[in-house]
This record gives sequence, C-alpha cells and structure tokens, in this order.
Amino acid sequence: MSASGTDPALPLEIHDLTVAYHKKPVLYGIDLEIPAGKLVGVVGPNGAGKSTLIKAIMGLLPASSGWVKVFGKPYRESCHRVGYVPQRESVDWDFPVSVMDVVLMGRYGRLRLAQRPTRHDREIARECLEKVRMLPFANRQIGNLSGGQQQRVFLARALAQESDLYLMDEPFVGVDAATETAIITLLRELQSRGKTLIVVHHDLSSVREYFDMLVLLNMRLVAAGPTREIFTQEILQATYGGRLTILSDVAQAIGEGG
Amino acid sequence: MIAHLRALFPPFDWHRVIVEPWSADPAISLWIVLMGFFVAAACGLVGNYLLLRRMALVGDAISHSILPGLVLAFLIFRHTNIWTAFAGALGAGFATVLLIEFIHKQSRVKADAAICIAFTVLFAAGVVLMSLLETKGSFHIDAECVLYGEIAFVPLEPPVVWGGIGLGPPSVLRMGGMLVLVLVLITAFYKELLVTSFDPGLSRSLGMNTGLWHYGLMGVLALVVVSAFEAVGAILAVAMLIVPAMFAAQLSNRLPVRLGLTIIHAAVSSLLGYHLSVWLQCSTAGAMVVAGAGLFTAAWVAGLWHTAALRLRSRNS
Amino acid sequence: MPGTHPRLRAAILRGGGILIFLLLAAPAHAARINELAESTLSGRMVRFFTFQDPSLRYALLGSMLLGICCGLMGAFLVVRKLSLLGDALSHAVLPGVALGFLWGMTKDPLAIFIGATVAGLLGAGTVQLLRHTTRHKEDASIGFVLASFFGVGVCLMTMIQNVPGGNKSGLDKFMFGQAAALGRGDVLLLAVVALLALGAVTVFYKEYTITSFDPGFARSMGLPVQVFHYSLMLLLAFAIVSALQAVGVVLVTAMLVIPAATAFLLTDRLGWLLVLSAVFGMCAGAIGAFFSFVGRNLPTGPFMVLAAAAVFTAAILFGPRHGIVARWWRHVSRSARIRRENTLKSVYHVLEDEGFRSEQVDARELAERRRETIEEAQAQLNTLRRHGLATLSGDGISASLTPEGWQRACEIVRNHRLWELYLTNAAQIAADHVHEDAEKIEHVLGEETVRRLEKRLNNARRDPHGRLIPGLEDIRLGAGARPTPPQPTGYGAPDPPAP
Repeated sequence: MSASGTDPALPLEIHDLTVAYHKKPVLYGIDLEIPAGKLVGVVGPNGAGKSTLIKAIMGLLPASSGWVKVFGKPYRESCHRVGYVPQRESVDWDFPVSVMDVVLMGRYGRLRLAQRPTRHDREIARECLEKVRMLPFANRQIGNLSGGQQQRVFLARALAQESDLYLMDEPFVGVDAATETAIITLLRELQSRGKTLIVVHHDLSSVREYFDMLVLLNMRLVAAGPTREIFTQEILQATYGGRLTILSDVAQAIGEGG
Repeated sequence: MIAHLRALFPPFDWHRVIVEPWSADPAISLWIVLMGFFVAAACGLVGNYLLLRRMALVGDAISHSILPGLVLAFLIFRHTNIWTAFAGALGAGFATVLLIEFIHKQSRVKADAAICIAFTVLFAAGVVLMSLLETKGSFHIDAECVLYGEIAFVPLEPPVVWGGIGLGPPSVLRMGGMLVLVLVLITAFYKELLVTSFDPGLSRSLGMNTGLWHYGLMGVLALVVVSAFEAVGAILAVAMLIVPAMFAAQLSNRLPVRLGLTIIHAAVSSLLGYHLSVWLQCSTAGAMVVAGAGLFTAAWVAGLWHTAALRLRSRNS
Repeated sequence: MPGTHPRLRAAILRGGGILIFLLLAAPAHAARINELAESTLSGRMVRFFTFQDPSLRYALLGSMLLGICCGLMGAFLVVRKLSLLGDALSHAVLPGVALGFLWGMTKDPLAIFIGATVAGLLGAGTVQLLRHTTRHKEDASIGFVLASFFGVGVCLMTMIQNVPGGNKSGLDKFMFGQAAALGRGDVLLLAVVALLALGAVTVFYKEYTITSFDPGFARSMGLPVQVFHYSLMLLLAFAIVSALQAVGVVLVTAMLVIPAATAFLLTDRLGWLLVLSAVFGMCAGAIGAFFSFVGRNLPTGPFMVLAAAAVFTAAILFGPRHGIVARWWRHVSRSARIRRENTLKSVYHVLEDEGFRSEQVDARELAERRRETIEEAQAQLNTLRRHGLATLSGDGISASLTPEGWQRACEIVRNHRLWELYLTNAAQIAADHVHEDAEKIEHVLGEETVRRLEKRLNNARRDPHGRLIPGLEDIRLGAGARPTPPQPTGYGAPDPPAP
C-alpha cells in the first residue's frame, strides 16, 4: 500500500474498497483505475452501489476497508481538484437561494474561511451559467425551475469548481431530451479539455453512444474498461442477470445481526 | 362569561396606551422595547438557520434545557453571575444535543421521541433541583420568570455606568452585544453557513467539516437563548426563535432578504407587543410573542388571499 | 396480536371496577394535603401508605389515571412519530385553560376541560393548515403552534389577574402541576377520560392499528382514515387536558412520550406496547404523587417525569433484547466465540500443514503460526479446553481436539474456503481480496447458507488458493474415528470436473 507505486497523474485509483451501510456491506472489494481524460459511465442495476461508490470516493461514506487515491493523494488533499454533482433530490429546492448563489457555491472550495466570493468568482459563475444556457435565470429562486433546469444549475456549479475530475450522480434523471443533449455535449467538451468525468447512469440504451469507458457494478466490480470491449451481452448478463442472492442475503444477515 | 371577557379587555384609551408610555417615562419604554427588539432579532436570525436545517424543535429542546443549566451552574460555582449562567447554559445545551443523539443511536427510539424525552427530563430535573434549593432558601429563580420572563423589570436594573455616563441596564447591553455578535458571525461566515445548510454533501466534498459548523451553530443558539432567557423565559424564547424566521420565510425566498425581514419583524413586534401589554396589562414578553404571531398570521392570510385572487382572475380570463 | 386482545379487555374491565370502588369509597369532605406540611418525613410516609387522607387518595388515584390515559395515547404518538405534535398540543391548550377559568372565574374542571380541548384541537388544526397552505416544514409549523399559542395563553393568564373577583389561587399550578390540587371533580373527569380512552382503544383496536401503520392501505380498504386520525387527536387532547392539573403544561408531553418510548424498547407488539405504556404511565404517576406528598408539596409533574425517565433509563440499559447491556454482552460473547473459532482454525491449519499425520498440536507451532508468544497460545488452548473443544497433554504444551472441537474447526475452515470460492467464482472478486472478507463472514454463515453455497459451487473441493475444502464426511469421520488421527477420506479425491 505504499504510495511509491502510484502514478500521480492517475485521476482515480481504488484498491480493495469495501463499503458498509449500518455494517451491511454494499460494495465488495472494488479495484479500479481510471486514466485521465476519460468519460466514464458507472452502470448497474438498482441497489448495485453506484451512488455509494461516488460517495465513498469523496469520503462521504466511510470505507470499511481498502483505500482511494485521487491524483495520487488521499481525497482530502486533492478535494479542490474534484467537482461533484449530487443527485437532484439530495437538496431542498425550497431553499431561499438564487441560481447565481448555487453556482457560486462551486467557488467556495477555492475561498478561504470567511472570505467573500470576488468579482472574478462571479465572472466565472456567469460564464458557467452561460455554458448551460441558464444565464437568463441567474436571479431566479431555485424552486421555480424545471427538473432539467435544476440539473443544469448543478452542472454549472460543478463547472465553476474548475476541477480536473468530475463525479456526477445520475445527472440525466428526470431531464428533458434537450437538456440531456446539452449535458452530454458539455461533458464531451470537458473531456476534450483533458478532464476526467465519472458519471452514474441508468439508461443502457444510451451507454454506447455517451461513454468511452464503462464501470459495471453490482455490489462488486463486474467489469471495467473501454465501452467497445465491455459492453457485451455476456457481461451485461453478469451485471444485471444472476443476482448474487447469497451475497445479498449474507449482507442482510450481517446488517440485522450487527 | 361575557362580563368576565369584558373585564378582561380594558377599554382602548389612545392616550393611556400609545402616548403616555413615551411621555411619562420614556426611558422605561425605550429599554423594554429595545430589549424585546434585541431578543427577537438575535433569536430570529439564528432561527432562520434552524428553519433551513429543519431543526426548529432542537431549538425548543435547547431553550428548555437552559433552566437545569442555570441550576447546575449554581450548584457547581456556588454563586450566580452572567458567566456562570453562560457556562451552565452552554453545558446544558450540549448535554441536550448529546442526550438526543445518545437516545437516538443507542436505542430504537425515533428522533422525534428522543428530542421530547431529552429536554423534558432535563427540564424536570431542573425544576426539581430548583424547588429543592428553594426550600433551603439558598437559590431563587421565580417559576414565573422561567415561564413568562421578566422583561418589564429590565429598566429597574442599576444601569451600567462608564466614564460617568449611564449607558443603560446591563441585560439590555448584553443582549445588544449578543445581537452584534450574531450579526458579525452571520456576515463573516455567510457562505459557510449557507452551503452547509443547503447541501451538506457538497460542502463535505469541498473539504468542509459540517459537524463543526453544526455544533458551532448549536453553541451560538445556546448563548443567544440564555441571554434571552431572563427577559422572555424558556418557552417564549422558542417563539422568538421561530416566529420572526417564519414570517420572513413567508414573504421572501432569498436568504439575505429574509434576514433583513427578520430584523424588521423583531422591531415591529416588540413595539406592537409593548403597547399591547400596556393596553391589556398583561405579560410584556407574552404580548410581544402574540404581536409577532399576529404579524405572521397576517402575512400568511394575505398570501392565501393573493393566491386565491390570482386563481380567480385566471379562471375569469 | 390475537393473544393480547382479550387479555387487554379483561384487564380494562377489572381496572374499571377497582376504580369505581375507590371513587365511591372516598368521602367527599377532606382536609387538603397542604395542611399536613408540618408533620415529619416518616409520618408523611406512613400517612401515604395507609391512605388515611382522602385528598391523598384523590391525588394518587388521579395521578395513576392520568398515567394510564397519557400512556395509551402516547403509544400511538410514538408509533406514528408524532411525539413533537404532542409537545405542541400540550402547550397549545394553555389559552383554553385561561378561557375555561374565565367562564365562571373558578377552577371548574368541566369548563377548563372543554376550553382546553377546543384550544388543543385548534392547535392541531393550525399545524395541518400550515402544512397544507405554506411551504414551511413540519418542524416549523409545530414550533409555531407551540410558541404562539403558549404566548396567547401567557397573556390571558396574566390578564386574568386583573379581573376582579373569583378564586384565582391554584391557577399557577397548571404550569408545573400539583397533584394535591386535584379534587373529587377532577378525579371523576380523569376516570371518565381514562374509560373513554380504554374503551375506544379496545373497541377500535384493529382500526387504530391499521390506520397508524399504513394509512394508504387502510384507505384502500375503505376505512375513514381521517375520522380515526381526528378521533385519536381528540382523545389525545382529552388526555393532555386531564393531565394538566397534576403534571403541568410544560411536562405533559413527557408523560405522553416517555412511558410509550419505554414500552417501545421492550416489545414489538402494539398490543403489549399499549399495555406496558399504560402500566409505566400509571407507575410514574403514583411515584410522582408519592414524592410530591412526602416532599411537602413539591411540584408533582417533574417527579412523575423523573420517575418515568428512571424506568426509561433502566429499559435502555437492561432491556432484554435491545438493551445496551444485553447488546454489550452479546458482543462480548460473540467476540469470545470468534476468538475460539480462530484458534480452532489455526489448529486446523497446523494439522493440515503436517498432512494430518498427527492429531497433536504443539503450542509452539500454534504460536508461530499466529505470531504470538507461547504463553498466549497456551492460554488460548486452555480456553478451548474449558469449552470442551480440546484436551491438553500433561505438560500443557500440546493439545488435541475433541470430536466437537474437530467438527467446529472443520466447519470454520469450510465456511472460510467456501466463501472465498464464492466471492472469486460467482462475484468475480480478485482472489487476493477475498481472504479478509472471509475472515469475518466465516463466523456468521448459517447452516442453510452453507448448503446453498455448496449447491451454487457444485460441491467444489478446492478453494481459490488450491487448498482442499473439508467436506461433511471429514467432519463425521474425524469425530467418529477418535482416537485415531482424523484421516479425511475426502482429501486427495479427484476434483469434480470444472463447472
């Protein structure tokens, strides 16, 4: 587990990561290396641990074993290089903030304690809003937006973080077709600038078109690699098909017994 | 009944209710209204964040726990002054939060019941200790003070004299200081409080310690409530926490605007409440709460009226 | 819960009978407890237990009855996660108390009862209204009702002081409660409310259960969910109001929530929850009345709450299944078992490395394998001996497993290797990752899961690291073949063809 073997350029490296919710294991022994400049889809059935993986990478959920390195360092030390798009339902949309305020939050990681966002930060936030075509809504309260617009705001916030690695939890859920196209165009553009994007996705029909690398997950890593090689009937069968009943039953038993 | 009700409401005499308090002895009125404003504004500003974090009832629990805190501080330090009161209140506030978490985590009792159990038990212990000490005659907090507060006695305190000039009653100055402290903290840490309240996941991914901000807020809450306790009592302090913030939330969906509205609400309700109490000859703190709740109700009904009118218009067109 | 229902009904009938008897037996004229304040502590205790004073009988009976009411209604609050609504309602009744008093400028129990009930229901309605017509979250709505109604109440209470005439003494007792202030009328009212609550809960037991547990399902069955909700709120208001006099506005919520939460820690059945909650409430009431009486009219409410809290603490600590002590003990015994099983496994590994030539295990070898000192290894072997899993040689240096120990050792190793195989084969986890997980899982796999694993793995004989998995025959033969060395027949048999 020495750091000497890790490549500092590797955006994400996970070794033998096991995550448990209330002592009940949700992810088993994940080994994963994501090279730079990839647009990666994380795919798997419901309850496969996709969101758990994203949260565990950022340390929002404690790992019961294994380790995660982001750009060759523990997450804490490179958190300023990571942008995060949480699930849309994770926040209260009645919250009294404007679209602009939310996007500015993306800049908070770069500001010192008690420091105000500068004119420069506002400039960047405005540019990011322009990129997702939400600038006209900058002064709206966030509750008065459609689902697609809310998702674009979150995306603009992540853009404002100016990160090298983006973690996105289901950004395509509940958005209209136009927003979906806009989002994927934006993700491609980010990728072309050398950013790495890890996107939790649930719609198998668009996987081949959107992502150039896939992580197939079902409580454990089923496969990871270029979409061309991995997106096969056989591997999908292994991911979605044979549910690991014994594994989930034992996990259940541990959860109850603990 | 009718006769009794009539006896309950003295006739509204413009001169007695509105003019006299300010002409006869303006200093008394000024200090009472100012105290009410300071309490409502400081509590209300903190209350805004409680509402955003859905912790209004944790505020309820903490304000109840002030009483055992004061009694315990007396037992430990053997005397009562403002610093022992602060120490006791802070200790009791954290004890409440920890007790809630303990009950919630160590048993299958749900969070709402855990809150109820924690603060009622502490409050009961406080009352028992208080009455035991009272029978020995060594310590005295009036039960009325716990429930209603003694804001009307504020002007009677010996004023703080500094450089030969009387500045005002110490508790009013203290509460004013508390309001300034809250204002400074909210201005300085606006963005941290905002992002940890809005999206804890994002703030932790940015490397912030959300737990630290949570306990910091709880600490400020305990400080504000203990300063308010003397003036408005344990339960009316809950009203001071919640009602101004709810009024502001009813009228605006921008946080800075809400904070401003909270301060306006505090000022208006303390002035209205003071005159209400002069008119009805009732508890001043209670009247301030009634005035504040009245303002909220007015905003609420006006909002309902507005939506109903809009709906009607759209149906007609 | 078919078992508890008739029993509950019988208990209610019996309780009602006793209650009526006590009420009729109490003579109407009585000295108030206050007048006894001069007597000594022991004297007061004697008086308490001999029930000499009718007023004491009222106080005790009233406290117990209110405990039953609050316990019953609190049980529904706790299971519906509405505890804080109970808190709001108990504060919201204060203006009603004041108006009820104003009716005749006396503490007429009925007028106060009606006024407070109306105020309580108004409070519950306001919470609902706020929830439906504004964006405020529930906690804010509850807090608003609690604080603003209480504010109105405080104003009215202080205004009443200005109204001339009337007997205003004792009105302040509504804040912290004084059981000694209970009169015959109060106790009668309490009895009526208690019977009403018991009756409603008994008759509509299944309706209240289903509407509390799953309102959607209840509605689909055609039950009027709202009617049951509001009837429960009405009963709740009754319980709060009847308890005010003795417990006080501020602490009624504790009498609602704490007994119910205590019962919730001890049982999983709603029927028993109701019974236990009522019993705990009754006990807390009696204890509160006792301390209040013995302690020269200290406020009753806080003592009741502390008594209830003591029972709650006991339940949290010593509850048979969910208690902290029970859980700690389970944890300790499980850790001890896991330690024993790990020793057994090491013994097996030592035997395996020697090709099962000998059945003796040397403490030195064991220590080497477990990277421990010889003393530690000996201590562990000793533990195995005490549990009948091994026998020690005379010098205590070497040990051999008993049939039972051998069986356990085989099972553990088998669990470990099966799980490793399952993780690598079925879950496609790298072979070097599975050992750590198997180290934990081996101790929790049940017999049934092991059978399923075997089936899933086609009774494979080798683990991912190429070692043999001890089979059922090995366990049986090893046990039966004592004292000859356990020579597992399965070992060395050809592997089944790869699946």
